[in-house]
Amino acid sequence: MNCELAHERIVLVAYGELPDEQVHELDRHLAACTDCSQEREQLLALKTLTTAYPINELDPNFVARSRMRLEEALDAIPPKRWYERVGQRILNNFASLQAAPAAAVLLLIVGGGAGTLGGYEYAAARSAHSAAGLAAVAKAEASAAESVQQSGPAEIANISSIEREPNSEIVHVTYNQVVPQHIQGSLDDPSIRQLLMLASENASSAGVRDDSVGLLAAECRAGHGCQGAGIRDALMQALRYDKSVAVRQKALEGLQPYVAEDMRVRDAVLEALLSDSDARIRTAAIALLEPVEGDTSVRQVLSTVANSDHNLHIRTVSRQVLSRAPEIQ
Amino acid sequence: MDGPDRAQERLQARAPEMELIREAQAGSRAAFDALVRQYEQQVLRLALHLTGSEHDAEDIYQEAFLKAFRYIGNFRFECSFYTWIYRIVTNLCLDQLRRKKTRREDQAVVVDQSGDEIDVLGSVSDGRSFSNPGKELDRKVLGERIQAALSKLTPRERMVFELKHYQGLRLRTIGEMLNTTEETAKNTLFRATKKLRTQLAGLR
Repeated sequence: MNCELAHERIVLVAYGELPDEQVHELDRHLAACTDCSQEREQLLALKTLTTAYPINELDPNFVARSRMRLEEALDAIPPKRWYERVGQRILNNFASLQAAPAAAVLLLIVGGGAGTLGGYEYAAARSAHSAAGLAAVAKAEASAAESVQQSGPAEIANISSIEREPNSEIVHVTYNQVVPQHIQGSLDDPSIRQLLMLASENASSAGVRDDSVGLLAAECRAGHGCQGAGIRDALMQALRYDKSVAVRQKALEGLQPYVAEDMRVRDAVLEALLSDSDARIRTAAIALLEPVEGDTSVRQVLSTVANSDHNLHIRTVSRQVLSRAPEIQ
Repeated sequence: MDGPDRAQERLQARAPEMELIREAQAGSRAAFDALVRQYEQQVLRLALHLTGSEHDAEDIYQEAFLKAFRYIGNFRFECSFYTWIYRIVTNLCLDQLRRKKTRREDQAVVVDQSGDEIDVLGSVSDGRSFSNPGKELDRKVLGERIQAALSKLTPRERMVFELKHYQGLRLRTIGEMLNTTEETAKNTLFRATKKLRTQLAGLR
């Protein structure tokens, strides 16, 4: 440490402004340097000397007089009008906006970072989910079916193929999520049934609809747990709206066991009889209605068909059924 | 000195003070009066010690608080109110010191026995006499010599020395009040002590 720096630090240490580590350094210099030591003595003497011009306690009268004069001056100032105060507030707010660009940039950076991280996490989660889905395909039937149940119909884009193993209850359904998936399971499996019902409504391929409706209809005819409304509804839906004759045909066959007991099924079959464009469907519908031909609504429809159906064969069959009806009743 | 107790007190006093400032900004005269009472002693003491004149100190006090009243709406809590009001006061004091210095350049100076120049008017008592003039005569003369030496400093040196030596403020705070850096305040203090030592050399 040179003496010039020491002189400066002597002042700082005298006023308590020197960091501790520099105080020690200064002390070592002062121990070795007479001039600087003398300099410190002089400064301390000055500090002592200047106490001869102290800050005295204020005279209360002086304070009171000053305050009174100030209050008079303040009273003379007209109060600020409301618009002046509003203007002032706006100015203050505007001034505080000076920091806004920096804050905006900071927010942008933080937002961008959070967005990127969030996107990365989301993508990682999605890929993990897809991987889990693919793994489920490779696993046993139960876990595969569970995967479908978990994903739900909303995540299934479409059903691309359905195949039944010959002489078996096992059916293979290929459906698409984000990536095509494939599961296999028993026809009695709820998740398989769910996929089949979905296929009967949405599958873009007529072949898939045909397969799914055919399987569902077969299940119903076989009496395999077709008591719930779900599969029956799917078959009625197919009968009413499916464009493919083959699909409608299968749906009709599937509904056969329920014509007698379920009024909704009967109505659907009557509708088919009245309005289906294909004569085969209408003919099959007549055959289906035979057990309930005594029903008033059935007779009404049969009567209409007997009179107005453009197909001679259907008109004839209808008349034959109607002619048998009184005997039955 | 600015001990930890005072710092703690100031910290505790800050919350209600901020409320007072907000009310004063909204136009409350009572809130402003409370702020004046909080700082008037310090302001008067500083102004009186710097100018050595009750009249000047009173003028500075009045002008400082009138300015504060007028511009309190501009106070944005970026620094403490203490620093803000001191900034106003120190600026007014600096102006006063500068005016005084300019006037004194035309005034007669006398040389004392040790050969130092003494400003006659600067040495005149401001009326605050000591209670026992006989006993305190030496002390009074000494005080006047010191006052004279202080008046030889530039207004800025005088201000930094006053704020550091007599008011006990940190150099960083002084820098804030005078709109300068801590380093500059440190250099100014160094120069002031050097000059004072030269001025008062004969008294030791």
